[in-house]
Amino acid sequence: MEDPMIARRSFLARIGLLGLASSGLASGILSAGPATAAPLDLGVLRQLLQTLSLDTYKGLAAFVVPGDDAYSHAQGTADGTPGAIAAKAPQFLMDSLDDFVGLPDTTVRYATQALATGLAGSNVDVPGLSLLPGQVLALDNALTKLLATDETIPLSLPVAGLLNLVATQVNPASVNGLFVSPFARLSFADKAKAFEMIETTESGLVAKLDVNLPEPLAETVSGVLKFVAGAVIEFTAWGTYSEYAAFDPKSKTLDGRPVGWKLAHYDHRAEGYDSFRGYYQGRKKVSHA
Amino acid sequence: MRDVIVIGAGAGGPVVAKELAAKGLDVLVLEAGPRRADPRSEWTSYENDANNPLTGFLRFGPADRSKPAWFRETPQNSFLWQVSGVGGTTQHYFGNSPRAYPGVFEGYEGRDKSRYDVDHLFPFSYEEMLPYFQRVEDTTPISTAAMGPNEALFLKGCETTGLPVQTQRTTTGPAYRPQENAILQPGGHAGRTRDENLLVYPEATGCTMCGHCFQGCMRPARAPRNKFAKRSTDNSYMPMALTADVWAEGGKPVDLITDAFVMQIHTEEVGGETTATGVTWRDGASGDIHREDAKVVVMSAGCTENPRLWFNSGLPNPNDWVGRGYTDHYFDWVVGVFDEDTGASRGVGSGARLDFPPHGAIMQVGIPPAIASFAATFSDSGIRGHYGNGRGGTGPWDGDAGRFVGPELKELMGNGIDRLMFILVMTDDDVEAQNRATLSALPGDEHGAVSKVEFHHRNRSGRTRNNREALVRKAVEVQRGAGARKVFRLDWPPLILHVQSSMRMGRSAENSVLDPTGEARWVKRLFIADNSAMSNCAGGPNPTLTSQALSTRTAEKLYTKYFDGDPFVGHDDLVVSTDDRISKRLQELDL
Ligand SMILES: Cc1cc2nc3c(=O)[nH]c(=O)nc-3n(C[C@H](O)[C@H](O)[C@H](O)COP(=O)(O)OP(=O)(O)OC[C@H]3O[C@@H](n4cnc5c(N)ncnc54)[C@H](O)[C@@H]3O)c2cc1C
Ligand code: SF4
Repeated sequence: MEDPMIARRSFLARIGLLGLASSGLASGILSAGPATAAPLDLGVLRQLLQTLSLDTYKGLAAFVVPGDDAYSHAQGTADGTPGAIAAKAPQFLMDSLDDFVGLPDTTVRYATQALATGLAGSNVDVPGLSLLPGQVLALDNALTKLLATDETIPLSLPVAGLLNLVATQVNPASVNGLFVSPFARLSFADKAKAFEMIETTESGLVAKLDVNLPEPLAETVSGVLKFVAGAVIEFTAWGTYSEYAAFDPKSKTLDGRPVGWKLAHYDHRAEGYDSFRGYYQGRKKVSHA
Repeated sequence: MRDVIVIGAGAGGPVVAKELAAKGLDVLVLEAGPRRADPRSEWTSYENDANNPLTGFLRFGPADRSKPAWFRETPQNSFLWQVSGVGGTTQHYFGNSPRAYPGVFEGYEGRDKSRYDVDHLFPFSYEEMLPYFQRVEDTTPISTAAMGPNEALFLKGCETTGLPVQTQRTTTGPAYRPQENAILQPGGHAGRTRDENLLVYPEATGCTMCGHCFQGCMRPARAPRNKFAKRSTDNSYMPMALTADVWAEGGKPVDLITDAFVMQIHTEEVGGETTATGVTWRDGASGDIHREDAKVVVMSAGCTENPRLWFNSGLPNPNDWVGRGYTDHYFDWVVGVFDEDTGASRGVGSGARLDFPPHGAIMQVGIPPAIASFAATFSDSGIRGHYGNGRGGTGPWDGDAGRFVGPELKELMGNGIDRLMFILVMTDDDVEAQNRATLSALPGDEHGAVSKVEFHHRNRSGRTRNNREALVRKAVEVQRGAGARKVFRLDWPPLILHVQSSMRMGRSAENSVLDPTGEARWVKRLFIADNSAMSNCAGGPNPTLTSQALSTRTAEKLYTKYFDGDPFVGHDDLVVSTDDRISKRLQELDL
């Protein structure tokens, strides 16, 4: 039997939360001292999770359209031109997922809880964890409480959680290192492997999520997560090559030429072009038979 | 008590509304989304602002854009693209208006007869459908598409296939041609200049070749609403329905209520038969619930929402075919890379096609970069060069089928949007019970349980899969013939936007929901008139013309059965939707 404490610690590490909580970025939020499990402020935890999600989507953005940013460098595909991060795709994804997917709140909660319990046991040896048991417990209790009590769980959270969990399966060493998100620490090829694990039915990974869910939601939740995990790739591309980053929704105007338009050499005109090339074989009308 | 209540103002609903308004019936149209009376003040031509399926002004969601989109469950890798609001999904559509192939109708005797979906034919003949096709074609109106660079290139590729050019509207065999489009062709300055000061009505008329069909057509600037180039129903049939008193003798304008989501259809037992009596809807802004009765109810909420409304209303489903037999043309996508200008971002969504019965059809597509990048990352074959997801096949295209991600995507897009040519593959896919719209087990929204759309795309019939492969090969041939330097295949999962047959009309009571007149088999005075009523996928041609012709026929059937009217198609004077009387009346009404 796996020690439940180790399993929880491994889970928290794998989604990236443990690393973040013990990093300089979050200094002082976990009380020091070995055995104390002083309750953790949920507001602080929410912020940590937000930071973690954003970092995960930066890793994803660089994967879909690399650029000259740190994340593209880290995955080994940087080039000299801007990419999805410069086009603000990470923010685009977070906003879209959290505010506009009309997924029922309970579903997101189920998905997140399923992630937090269903996959926790999958044994991955995570190296170099420095946090002490009391602190792990405080963090874990806070997360459990948040998932049970928060009115809305942002959808970006379970999706990021899934990417990070899978990332540590692909490469356990990704629990530590640069950035906050294990997914963001992967090489380009390993990120592709992570998507393979999510997408390929045979791996059955996502199906494990259903284990603790009540019928008839079981298949539904994994289905939805699977759909969203695929859709985030298309959405990242969409956000990058659209006007999003340069668009001011209030005035409905652009404050410059969008990055994606430059990348795709798109010459946008609202009203029309001089593209008329006549009629094929001069025929303006066919028989109505 | 109304004469008729029409649920939904997409492609089908406004056709029924217009035809019956012209006959003087008291028609109420209820539309879940908004009506954009003045698109210029609310729309832009930017892709994300317009088309983001979650946040765009063209989405399936409430009028208030600060609220989330309406959720539907799609439990597989797929994408469902539908729009709410007057015009429905035709606000997105490209106006391509081919007729269904004759082989999908009863009584067809062509040599390839047995190679269609013979168990699910339209329960009447192509000849019977013809006057309804013509009525829609003349009303909309439909005409031969002008060419831009993209069309010229595609047709050049078609010329290398050895197939003939089609010069009539009925398709009798494999052939290529410019589209017959529901688009007013370029006139005056339109298509001849980029100067927006010149692209103003009436100096410019019809299509300005702006390339924004997907973002909704509001051109030329200052044109009356019923003379916007693209004939989505918010520009064609709905303006007619709203002004029926000025162009039809004895006509009565319809009442239109928007932001009105129908949640229930009411029935009573009349003479031992379940009979529709009215509907209940919810006002989106106030949350108030309203009910109104009618002699006849017409469902035109589309392939995904009709089944939902049916189930949420507790209507009968004795043969279990409600929501089943959903077809989507099992699309695929073939991209060519060129060294010359393809003009992919300029001009109409598509102006040329190659029909390839009995397999389906292919057509060239012109789109701006965000949707092009979406299309290039959408695949059932994993990530090119990394994993094939159990598929990822090779063929006459270059490399593996699969999605473009990372440096490959950047390179593809970096060729320039106007160095790419896109070909859409539209498969003649079989009606299969397993592909369907049903209710989701997830908690419902303010309108009740939500839809779940299931496509078992890896388990489609052999005929469907073979058809798709034949079309993909043809698309690759056309790309290479046109001079593509590289040709890629995406192997799309279901992109559900050519939607058909989920509430199908059929000869057999075993596998259909509607009888051959369009009336529900188990609920009298309840008709369905939109794509869901189609018996099959039309053979692969873009479905809207066929759906609208069928809706015209259904309007006539219900008029003669329940309102003692005479058949009118072919007997009355035809009025074109661009008629000046309609423009004038819209202006008077400030619509
Ligand atoms: C990008 C794109 C391009 C396309 N191009 C073409 C093309 O070139 N040619 C072609 O033939 N087809 C094209 N199509 C397909 C075309 O849009 C559809 O065939 C057509 O719109 C379907 O019509 P419909 O009436 O069945 O449904 P819809 O057009 O979807 O209309 C249904 C309407 O009902 C409303 N509604 C739904 N539920 C309710 C309810 N409960 N109460 C009240 N109202 C409700 C919806 O808001 C909507 O307005 C395209 C589609 C897309 C997305
Ligand atoms: S290309 Fe033509 S039909 Fe399409 S939106 Fe522009 S003007 Fe309208």
